[in-house]
Amino acid sequence: MWHKILVGLDGSEGAGKALAVAVKLAAQSSAELHSISVEEKLPHYAATVGEVQESKQEAANYFRKLVAEAQQSARASGVTLHSHVMPGHEVETIVTFAKDHGFDLLVIGFMGHSKIFGRIWGSTSQNLAKLSPCTVLVVK
Amino acid sequence: MSFSWEVAAIWIGLALAASLISIRIGVSVALVEILVGMLGGNLLALQPTPWIDFLAGFGSVMLTFLAGAEIDIQVMKEKWRETLSIGFASFLFPFLGAGAYAYWVAGWSLEASEIAGIALSTTSVAVVYAVMVERGYNETGFGQMILAACFITDLGTVLALGLLFADYDWHLAAFGVGTGVTLWLLPRVTPWFFAKVGSRISEPETKFLLLVLFALGALAQAAKSEAVLPAYLVGMALAPFFLANRTFAQRMRLIAFAVLTPFYFLKAGVLVGWSAIVSSLGLIGIFLGVKVAAKFAGVWPLTRVFRFSHREGLYLTLLMSTGLTFGTISALYGLSNHYLDREQYAVLVTAVILSAVVPTLIAERWFDPGGRPPEETLSRRHSDRGDQLADRRGGGG
Repeated sequence: MWHKILVGLDGSEGAGKALAVAVKLAAQSSAELHSISVEEKLPHYAATVGEVQESKQEAANYFRKLVAEAQQSARASGVTLHSHVMPGHEVETIVTFAKDHGFDLLVIGFMGHSKIFGRIWGSTSQNLAKLSPCTVLVVK
Repeated sequence: MSFSWEVAAIWIGLALAASLISIRIGVSVALVEILVGMLGGNLLALQPTPWIDFLAGFGSVMLTFLAGAEIDIQVMKEKWRETLSIGFASFLFPFLGAGAYAYWVAGWSLEASEIAGIALSTTSVAVVYAVMVERGYNETGFGQMILAACFITDLGTVLALGLLFADYDWHLAAFGVGTGVTLWLLPRVTPWFFAKVGSRISEPETKFLLLVLFALGALAQAAKSEAVLPAYLVGMALAPFFLANRTFAQRMRLIAFAVLTPFYFLKAGVLVGWSAIVSSLGLIGIFLGVKVAAKFAGVWPLTRVFRFSHREGLYLTLLMSTGLTFGTISALYGLSNHYLDREQYAVLVTAVILSAVVPTLIAERWFDPGGRPPEETLSRRHSDRGDQLADRRGGGG
């Protein structure tokens, strides 16, 4: 049923569950599976260029480990996981990536904010569901 | 006041709080330290002591040195026409505009007006770089040209700060000759010295560089100039060496960010009184407006001359309107040397902080020229400069 599946990977518990579901769906539909991780926490208004570079590197190290584990887990189910790490705003970057690469399913973990923040701003998963160009599966 | 562990504990506690807040909200530790410093100064009545003044001064020298060492000379050479003209206009117009407003309209003294001009002439390379990285422009010719132009603007700022208030006597001549000879020798002597002594636990390389910075700082002080000027120039002279020895650059950053720059930024914030901000809100807004308007008057026409698109020109001009580190260094220099009073200092620091945030937000929200952040493949990341740091840390370094 699915040809190209994209799963959001940020190291959270919800993202772990989303990956497991995405791997299962990819195996069932013989679909192409990709993961996307977004670096959100580069320091704004930094004092030196080095501060930004080191933060970027810390994020790179974190995502490198995360992606290696995800790829290993997918491989165990006979699925090849293509991983992508990008800087930017989480919602905007995932939506743009899904649009540009023609995915037909986006799988994300439920990412809850605090109640107050969620009410005012909407959670990341809500915003992704609203703005994504393809079907979205939110895994809880 | 003599040294007190209690004072030390409070200041380093504030620095720790600033680090934690910065990690949580994704805003640079420098900006958070200034804001936390403001809280400390206004709520806890903290005041800098002589040893804090020393650490803060050392921190500002390290910051300017590191800023100079981050220059990519190659890009500057390749796009020298755009870089030099945009960078110089970006310094000159706000320097004259803000200085003129402070002197003729706000009624500040000549020295205070000059400091206002210098503090508001700056462009924050680091603020611009963070935006570039997020949008992927740091990899493009357009982004690299903007970054190189920012360095030229900063060079104008440190030259003005170092030369405008100096005594023009033989001390200045000695400072000029000493700096010139050092800058000529350093790119040759430093690699030789580093190869000779090697990397040791006693850090002879770091001490060598600190000796150079302190000695030139002493010459600058004797000439009534400012130690950040030679620090920036030494950084520029060693930039190619630093780009090739990233582990050492990271070691220097580690020293600076752990124990020096927190005292600098906290002190910059501690000296800002809330009452001064409240009573001068209008002036702060005007200074910010004058800075941005002067950048538009100087930089934007050049973007048309160099055939940037309309949107690219606006984006570039707004990013060149940002400022932070060098702006606060200039304002603190003015206060320390009694060219500014506390109220004028608070006005300038607040305008500088706002200039880090407001133009960036406007540029990102409305004038992003398009293009998408590049995908960061893992293989590219593996070769990234910080890998060396990670390896070193992983190895217990």
